[in-house]
Amino acid sequence: MLFNSLEFAVFFPLVVGIYFLLPQRHRVLWLLVSSCVFYMAFIPVYIFILFVTILIDYVAGIYIEKMQGRARMALLWVSIISTCSVLFVFKYFGFFTSNINGLAGLLGLHPPMPVLEIILPIGLSFHTFQSLSYVIEVYRGRQKAEPHFITYATYVMFFPQLVAGPIERPQHLLHQFWEHHVFDYERVTSGLKRMAWGLFKKLVVADRLALYVNDVYAAPQNFNGLQLTLATVFFAYQIYCDFSGYSDIAIGTARVLGFRLMENFDTPYYSRSISEFWHRWHISLSTWFRDYVYIPMGGSRVAKSRWFFNLMVTFAVSGLWHGANWTYVVWGALNGFYLVMGVATKGLRDRVFGLVGLNDKTLLRKAIMIASTFFLTSIGWVVFRAKTMADAWYVMTHFASGWDFGRIGTEQFLLRQLPAAVAGIMVLEIGQLLQGKVSIPSVLGRLPMTPRWALYASFVMAVLMFGIYRKTQFIYFQF
Amino acid sequence: MSPPLQEEGGLGRASRQELAGPTPGGWQEVSLPGQAPDVAPKHPDKLLHPRHWPGLGRIIGFFCVVALLAFAANAMINFGLRRIRTSDFGVSNRVMTGKINAEVVITGSSRALTHYDCRVIQKITGHTSFNIGRNGSQTDMQLAYLKAYLANDAKPRLVVHNLDLFSFLTSQEIYDSAQYLPYLDQEAIYAGVSRVYPDAWKWKYLPLYGYLVEDMRFTWILGLKGFVGYQPKEDHFLGFLPRHTPWTGDFEKYRRDNPNGVRFEIEPQGIRDLEELTKVCRDQGIQVLFVYSPEYSEMQALERNRGEVFAKFRAIADRFQVRLWDYSDSPICKNRGNFYNSQHLNAEGAEAFSADLAKRLVESGLLSPTKAGTK
Repeated sequence: MLFNSLEFAVFFPLVVGIYFLLPQRHRVLWLLVSSCVFYMAFIPVYIFILFVTILIDYVAGIYIEKMQGRARMALLWVSIISTCSVLFVFKYFGFFTSNINGLAGLLGLHPPMPVLEIILPIGLSFHTFQSLSYVIEVYRGRQKAEPHFITYATYVMFFPQLVAGPIERPQHLLHQFWEHHVFDYERVTSGLKRMAWGLFKKLVVADRLALYVNDVYAAPQNFNGLQLTLATVFFAYQIYCDFSGYSDIAIGTARVLGFRLMENFDTPYYSRSISEFWHRWHISLSTWFRDYVYIPMGGSRVAKSRWFFNLMVTFAVSGLWHGANWTYVVWGALNGFYLVMGVATKGLRDRVFGLVGLNDKTLLRKAIMIASTFFLTSIGWVVFRAKTMADAWYVMTHFASGWDFGRIGTEQFLLRQLPAAVAGIMVLEIGQLLQGKVSIPSVLGRLPMTPRWALYASFVMAVLMFGIYRKTQFIYFQF
Repeated sequence: MSPPLQEEGGLGRASRQELAGPTPGGWQEVSLPGQAPDVAPKHPDKLLHPRHWPGLGRIIGFFCVVALLAFAANAMINFGLRRIRTSDFGVSNRVMTGKINAEVVITGSSRALTHYDCRVIQKITGHTSFNIGRNGSQTDMQLAYLKAYLANDAKPRLVVHNLDLFSFLTSQEIYDSAQYLPYLDQEAIYAGVSRVYPDAWKWKYLPLYGYLVEDMRFTWILGLKGFVGYQPKEDHFLGFLPRHTPWTGDFEKYRRDNPNGVRFEIEPQGIRDLEELTKVCRDQGIQVLFVYSPEYSEMQALERNRGEVFAKFRAIADRFQVRLWDYSDSPICKNRGNFYNSQHLNAEGAEAFSADLAKRLVESGLLSPTKAGTK
């Protein structure tokens, strides 16, 4: 079920209403049932895959806690391997076999590797990582194993963050299922406002920009440099608004029910370096990789060469997590390379800025750093969005060619859509800039009821009127 | 700048509580993080009545206000679009309010819309005529629109139905759905739309759904402008939409993409739709004429099953004793200057075709000559 669907508009009030009506002992079960209904709206039978991984990790968690020594470690690996196997079969097996077959073909061999044509269960990478973090944390002794199967299953399947995160840690989320959440007007309305902001990002900004981006990236050779540039900038906003919009709706949805989910984005395009960008983009995944891949490899407390290696590997694996395609791996490695270069050239850049009189506090230096970070990120997005590396290369090498201001629109995105798209981006930026300076909800909250409601209703109507409602999935669902 | 992903900086410093953001009020912590409570938490364990939900009424009230606004906006948009007297909506508004009552009615797709200049036909035949061709429509929606016309306007003497190679295809979606939205109260239109799109009830009963979910052209803005009296520039003349457009070059690309030509589906339902259109007219005593209007000659060569489609046209025409005039061999088809793409005549081509058709209508006896008509 999509957050931006009529079905969810009926589903959510029902779930919330019944949740608060029910006595505490039935609430978690109700959330589990609701989450199953939510998930089964995609491909019902895939609920069994989820059930298998939940069962394995639930049992593993209990026994890891009880056991000691090598048996404990063995059990952890059994759990990790079996959980990852599901991910591998559904997500990576086709990629793996096609590469093996391709390599064998180059060597003149023709191994009969089977090719699986199966649809990836939605959000599989997200709940796999959430499950993994649970067993690892239990193994590390930072989290008690959850004895109640229903509670553990609800933790993995909690519908607000089931299909696209934030990827929660058990220490943060699991205990919340034991809390009693009362119907609190302030909290519920705060959650609803967060959902409205997320829907604005998704429906008004991301999905309108998607019309343009999809047209251009479907066949970049048919478009001029201006269109390629515009599509790339639009994609930067599209993916941000799509994913952070989803996170906003997820956080808001959970907040209405009384749950706190972790923040996943922190205005990443205001970052002054790629390093900072990754502290502010998809935070739940970045911290997951930091805690379970990067630090176990030694992190930065190793020789410099090893440190750089750790960065490259972490980001390449992160790229592969996003999708079974070389474009994602290259995108991840490119970001790793950016980080390595960032560390390696820091001294030089500081000296250059110092020579021209631009210290850390200078507005111009901040602007240059933000712009250059956005540029580098956008180059990364070209690789991420392109269907093939050849397409990505074409886009990157044709940004400057054949700009034609008379030919901006595309088949799906007529020129008349441009003002709405630009206005959406501007409202987003103004909202984010203001959010950094003042608390918009508290300013609005101080207004008398009539103008306050008028503002809220206008915003809701604007989202309704300017949104795109084609059944478009959130980009990150595919991961 | 701190190194990325360094344990002692950046993300490493942020506690999970910080990442989760400030803790708003309203929660009651009953256990430590990561720890299930040893005893059952003390909290109400009975059904909780909504009267204990402070502020619920305000939240429901707010959504009622939004719903009311949506209903009001929907009504304003519909009303505004129905007030328009010019352009495409002007044509539909005249059709739906019975203000046309022409003797000759032209139906069909965009080819009908852009080929039949009713000013020319009217001038030559002396009979009132009107073009109700629908852009992007198949026979199913053309039939629905004709039924709506017949329900609201006086019966014409003659219906000229324009054929094309897509005539036996059924609609997979409603093209430019907004053109039908203000008229869903018309039984024929609603039935036609519902047949193509079973969820059309949402367009009719959920406020704004049709305008926002299906329509990508911001037609709702036109509706709001119409509500305050705005009239778009007139581009339809007795329903005819002249296209003053030079040759676009789309055909060359089409030919490159389909070097071996193309086949056109013949769907049983498409055949039934054309038969029903003919029956509807015959049952009301209206003469029907099938016309295959000019199509660019080079395109004709790419149509692999042209003969098969035309055989079906002829079979239906014979069964219902309807005349079929095929302009495929007309000299108009050989001159690229008459077209803006392979399927559509430009304004000059349309004028030449309409004049030829009008003369033929009179000469064939389908329309009796009147004093008002000119040769």
